[in-house]
Amino acid sequence: MREVFIGRENLRKLIGRWAKERRVYVPVTFDIMNHEETPDYELVGDAVPENMQLHGAAPAHAPKSFLFYPREVVAKYPSSDPEADVSAPPTIVVGPRGCDVRGLQKFDKVYWSTENFTEEYDDPFYIEKRKNTFIVSVDCTAAKETCFCTRVGGEPYPEDGFDLNLAPIEPGFVVTVGSEKGDTLLVGNDDLLMEVRPEHLEERTRNRNSVAEAVNRHNAEFEVDAAYDKYDLEGTLDAWMEVTQNCVACSACNRTCPTCTCFLLVDQPATGGYERTRNWDTCLSIGFARTGGGGNSRAALAERLRNRLRCKFEYSRDRYGLVTCTGCGRCIDVCMGKIDMREAIKHVLTENAKV
Amino acid sequence: MKNLYRPIESVIEDIKPETPNITTYRFRPKEPVTFAAGQFVELTVPGVGEAPFTPSSNPNVKDTLEITIMRVGTVTAALEKMKVGDTVGLRGPYGKGYNMEDFYGKEVLIMGGGVGLAPLRSLILALFDEIDKFKKISIRYGARTPEDIVYRDLLPEWEKMKNTEVLLTIDEPHPEWSGTVGVVTVLLDGLPLLTTVDVEDLPFHAESAVACVCGPPIMLKFVNMTLLEKGFKPENIYHSMERNMSCGLGKCGHCMMGEYYICKDGPVMTAAQIAKFEDPF
Repeated sequence: MREVFIGRENLRKLIGRWAKERRVYVPVTFDIMNHEETPDYELVGDAVPENMQLHGAAPAHAPKSFLFYPREVVAKYPSSDPEADVSAPPTIVVGPRGCDVRGLQKFDKVYWSTENFTEEYDDPFYIEKRKNTFIVSVDCTAAKETCFCTRVGGEPYPEDGFDLNLAPIEPGFVVTVGSEKGDTLLVGNDDLLMEVRPEHLEERTRNRNSVAEAVNRHNAEFEVDAAYDKYDLEGTLDAWMEVTQNCVACSACNRTCPTCTCFLLVDQPATGGYERTRNWDTCLSIGFARTGGGGNSRAALAERLRNRLRCKFEYSRDRYGLVTCTGCGRCIDVCMGKIDMREAIKHVLTENAKV
Repeated sequence: MKNLYRPIESVIEDIKPETPNITTYRFRPKEPVTFAAGQFVELTVPGVGEAPFTPSSNPNVKDTLEITIMRVGTVTAALEKMKVGDTVGLRGPYGKGYNMEDFYGKEVLIMGGGVGLAPLRSLILALFDEIDKFKKISIRYGARTPEDIVYRDLLPEWEKMKNTEVLLTIDEPHPEWSGTVGVVTVLLDGLPLLTTVDVEDLPFHAESAVACVCGPPIMLKFVNMTLLEKGFKPENIYHSMERNMSCGLGKCGHCMMGEYYICKDGPVMTAAQIAKFEDPF
C-alpha cells in the first residue's frame, strides 16, 4: 500500500479542497461546561472547522448512518417501475476507527450480498451509498476505558477496508492508500504531500503499540478462558436476568452499534399514493420478534439482551463467518443502566462453568 | 438496480369466507408472482403495511394466487375491509418451500391446525398434481369447533383422491359434531409407537414417512414430540415456522432464530434443523 506524509495544516487544506466538490464529514468536538464532549461528525462547510478532532478514540457515532440512514424511503407505490430510485452524492467520511471499518464488513455482507456473501438479494440503497462514500479512517491515539478492540480480534487502527487511513504522528499524519478509490482523493494534491520517512513509520508503530497495550491493560479484569470467536453465551436465563437487571430496553446499544443492521419497513400514505420507509429497528424492543398472531419468541427482556450478544458473537459467526462485536465500546458508553457487555460475558461464562 | 421493496400491484379477484374469522382471497398480480409450495409472499395493504403469508393455492397455477387469511392484526383487519376489484401489493416469493422430490415414493402425512391448513393446501394440491409419485397422502386436521373448519367444501373432494385419506377432529365436543374430538395430536393415536413398529400391516411406516406440519406454535411443539416418539426421523418432519418475516430478504433481522433467517432458511424447517433450540416454536 502506498504511503505518504502530510503536515497538519496541509491536511486541513486537503480536506478543504475535497469539500469543494463533495460532502465531507469530519469529527469535531466542543467544550461544554468545561467538559470536552466525545467528537462527533459535522458536515464541512466553507471552512474546515477549527474544532476538528482527529486525535483520541472513536467518534460518538458509528459511520453506519452515512450508508444506512436511520429512516429512508425505499419505495413509492403504486409503481410499475422495477428499478430502485437511488441517488447518493459523493461523500467523504473522515474519522472512522479500526473498529468502525471492521463493522462495515457486516453491512457489506447483509446489504451487498452478491459480492460479499452467498445470497441473491442486493440492496440498491446501501450499495449506491457505499460506492459513493469514501472512508478516510484514522488510527486511535488514545483508548477509552470502554474500548476493547484487541480483545475481539481487532486493533486500534484499521488493517484494511479503508480508502485512505490517517495515522496521527507528532508532525502530521502518515497517509495510507487502501484502495484505488482512495488514491483518487490524492490526485492533483501532490503539492500538499511529502515522502514518508522511516521515523514517521517508527512513530506510528510506537503509537499503535502503546494504544493496543492500553486497551489490553484496562481489559485484563474482563479476561475469560474462552476465545472471543468460540463463545457459547446461551447460559441460563437466571444468569441473563442478572445481567439484564438494569436494562430498560432503550435500545441505545443497538443504535450506536457499528454492526446492528436491522430495520423495520413502515408504510404510510404520501403524495400520489403511498411510501414505504426503512427505519432502524432494535432487537431489544419487545415487539421485534412478535408475530401477527401475538406469539413472541423473545418476550422476556433477558432473552432479548441475550439474543443481541449471541447475535454479535455466535449467530453472525455461524452465518457470515464474522464475529460482529468490534469492541468499540459504544454500547457501554451509552447505557443508562451501566451494563457493560464485557462484565455480562464474563458473568454468563462463569455461571456456565459452574453448571 | 432492481428495487426489492416495491410491492407489485395485484387485484383482488375473489373473496370467499371460510369461517367467521378466516377468508380466502384470490389475487391477480399485474406482474408475475409465482411460488413453490411452502414459499411465502409479502402482502401489502396500501398505506397500512405488509405481512407475510404462504399462499394456499396450487403453485402450478401461475397467473393468480390465493391466500387464506385469519384476522389477527392491523394488516389483516384492513384487508378484511377491502372488496373485489381493489388493489393490494405482493412481493416474493421468498424462502425455501418443500422439495417435492424428497417425498417421491413415500407416505406423506399432512398435519394441520386451524388456519395452518392454508399453506398445506398449496402443498396438497401440488401433491395431487403428481399423485402417482406418492405411496399415500394422509391429511389430518384439527379445528377448534366445526364452524372453524376451513375448506369444508374441498375436504370431501380430497378424500376421493387416490391413496388419500382425510381425518378431522375438533377441540371440544359439539352438538353438530359426531366425529373425533380432541386436540390434533389425537389423530396420531392410530399411529404405532416406535417400539411396536411392525411394518407392512400398519397404516404408516414411521421410519420412511414424511410429515408436513403447520399450525399454531403450541401445536407444532406437541405434534413434533409425538411424531418423534412414533419414530419419524427428525429430517423427515417439516414444520412451517412462525416468525415475523418483515423484509423476506434476509436483512431486516426480525425472523432471526440463532444463525437462521426463517425468511431465507425457512419458513419450512425440518425437526433436525431446529433440534438444537430449546424451544424453537
